[in-house]
Amino acid sequence: MLPAGEVLQTDIADEDTMIRSNTLRIASGSLLTALLLSACTPADPQADTSKALVDGVLLPTYVQWAETDRRLAASAIGFCADNQTLPEAREAFIDAQTAWAGLQPLLIGPMGEGNLAWQVQFWPDKKNLVARQVTALLNAKPELTQADLDGASVVVQGLSAYEYILFDGSIDLSKGATKERYCPLLTAIGEHQQKLSASVLQQWQDKDGMADQLRSFPNERYAEPSEAIAEVLRVQVTALDGLKKKLGAPLGRQTKGHPQPYQAEGRRSDTTLASIEAAVKGAEHLWLGADKDGLRKLLSTEQADLAKRIDASYAELLQQLAGMSQPFGEMLASVEGRKQLDALYQRIDRLHRLHQLDLSRALGVQIGFNAHDGD
Amino acid sequence: MKRRTLLGLSGAMLAASGIAGWTLARHGEQQVLLSARNDKDGQHYAVGYRLDGRQVFATPVAERCHDVYPHPYLPLAVFVGRRPSRESYLIDSRDGRLLQVMASPADRHFYGHGVFHKDGEWFYTTENDTAHAGRGVLGVYRLEDRQLVRVGEHATHGIGPHQLLWMPDNETLVIANGGIRTEADSREMMNLSAMEPSLVLLRRDGSLVSKEQLPEQMNSVRHLAVGADGTIVSGQQYEGDPMDRVPLLAIKRPGQAFQHFPVGEPQRQIMNQYTASLAIHDELRLLAVTAPRGNKVFFWDLDSTELRQEAHLPDCAGVAAVAEGFVVSSGQGRCRLFDCRAERIASTPLALPAGLWDNHLRIV
Repeated sequence: MLPAGEVLQTDIADEDTMIRSNTLRIASGSLLTALLLSACTPADPQADTSKALVDGVLLPTYVQWAETDRRLAASAIGFCADNQTLPEAREAFIDAQTAWAGLQPLLIGPMGEGNLAWQVQFWPDKKNLVARQVTALLNAKPELTQADLDGASVVVQGLSAYEYILFDGSIDLSKGATKERYCPLLTAIGEHQQKLSASVLQQWQDKDGMADQLRSFPNERYAEPSEAIAEVLRVQVTALDGLKKKLGAPLGRQTKGHPQPYQAEGRRSDTTLASIEAAVKGAEHLWLGADKDGLRKLLSTEQADLAKRIDASYAELLQQLAGMSQPFGEMLASVEGRKQLDALYQRIDRLHRLHQLDLSRALGVQIGFNAHDGD
Repeated sequence: MKRRTLLGLSGAMLAASGIAGWTLARHGEQQVLLSARNDKDGQHYAVGYRLDGRQVFATPVAERCHDVYPHPYLPLAVFVGRRPSRESYLIDSRDGRLLQVMASPADRHFYGHGVFHKDGEWFYTTENDTAHAGRGVLGVYRLEDRQLVRVGEHATHGIGPHQLLWMPDNETLVIANGGIRTEADSREMMNLSAMEPSLVLLRRDGSLVSKEQLPEQMNSVRHLAVGADGTIVSGQQYEGDPMDRVPLLAIKRPGQAFQHFPVGEPQRQIMNQYTASLAIHDELRLLAVTAPRGNKVFFWDLDSTELRQEAHLPDCAGVAAVAEGFVVSSGQGRCRLFDCRAERIASTPLALPAGLWDNHLRIV
């Protein structure tokens, strides 16, 4: 059994000895002496945490996401058959949007690796592409079929286009002709989302699929539990960084302080802050686990101080979010509102750093860098 | 042409990454993996490890390095500074002794790649002419008493040159001109709307053999693999819209034009507009490519272009051919040996330290 955490915490010069002394068996006669990792004992804390997270947090959240998309698809059909009201249809959308936002820190495996997120949500929409492409698509295909949508641009396949139809001020769905125009697209998006989430969930639940690969080690994907924990931490950190971008863009952090209200995620449905809250809760879920068995449990008693700082950081952030009841667009338009949003940004930034720097170091895992290296 | 007669040797040289290295090392010690690596505190190292995990050296260096290239017969290797580094390091590959900090001239910086000539006397790097930002330069260095002295340069006939490798004649260089203009001490891309990526074949004297381009102007040609038969494969990084459907691998077979290498839509999507390192296995006729954004290593049959297999490896980085198949490193997890001799490619984690490996590796 290789105490991977310890190995990773040693200095580069020490790693050699450490690994040598822990190599289980030298494959004599083989051209390469490979490290043969035996199945890890159940006592391995990182393996335990990985298993606890997949069964207590990851898999249930994917199941829930797929379920909200199933309801979204049903809602689109119901709304278009006049069996659902617009507020009911909007509620189904908000549920799906919130479930998706909450999934962001959990995008380990097929969803993130397959680069599929674009199909669910198109953000940032700097050039108002959603509105333009929905219009262009419906002009070109008034009798839109499912196949038309499945083969169309990702811009129109996801929740952003769905939100545009249900919430944009220029579309009055109380008019029969308008509803008739947009309904084929609405139902096709619902179906596309349902198929996509069901397929991703299947890849989690398959034998030797994503969930199994987080349950026992080694496997085709992970040589040892620390690789799985590193990947969990990486997607969590990536999502926290993503929240900074999602809040920073409308706040004008990339545009010399000029607010960009049109770049707010979910601006039409005013789900901007709710989405941030869902994502922070998703990240906290990984941290705490379903039953106090999340990443936090991997910290030793000597690292209790860091655990408390992270606890406090989540608590402060969620408390501030809970107290923000004003619509995001209004906050952005006022000096006082922007001050609050800046404070929110700082809190997210602190939480992000605590994970990226302190927690990764404390856990002794490396977050990869080659994917964003640009070389 | 001398080309044919040199083929045998070229296979060996070329790969300095691979089979040849093994053959040479077989009677003595095990193969050594050379790569740039960090420690957890962000200190940069030039390292050498035997594939069984034994450390040969880990030399702290000031700048982060990118690729490394061994001398053809002396125990020397150059670890090339990652752009926009102004330093590269000549290392004694037996004990890691730092023999020389190579400084780039005032208005040049390294791009992370370099190669020794087969005779062992000359070393070539890709460099940026920061006085005419982006103008690609091939730096020419001569090995004199275990020191590399810059003696001249040639144009790479492109902007932002990145990887360079030898063609099988060992006299012609293939250069990936990434096409992106960056200025001194910066990684900021200055010309995304006017990128000019190209694949250039250049003789050692700087004379141009050919220059070819892909149809997509924002498809930066960055990394290369060359087969013993002269087949060149390039890996691209696309700087345009994240949703554009752009092929990211290209191939130039002997006597043919530079063109897209067919990649299935699922694989293209997994690459997410980014390929990292490439290697060709001459005996098995396989192409391996790392796609760190999708945590995947892909293996294609070089001749039929059929996808042989894809394997998971979080944050996969460098790749090099060995007798059994390929060794692949990772910024996040353990290095893996992919045994490609059987129908089903099998992955085995190696006892090298896990994570923090930089983009490229070579095996000698």
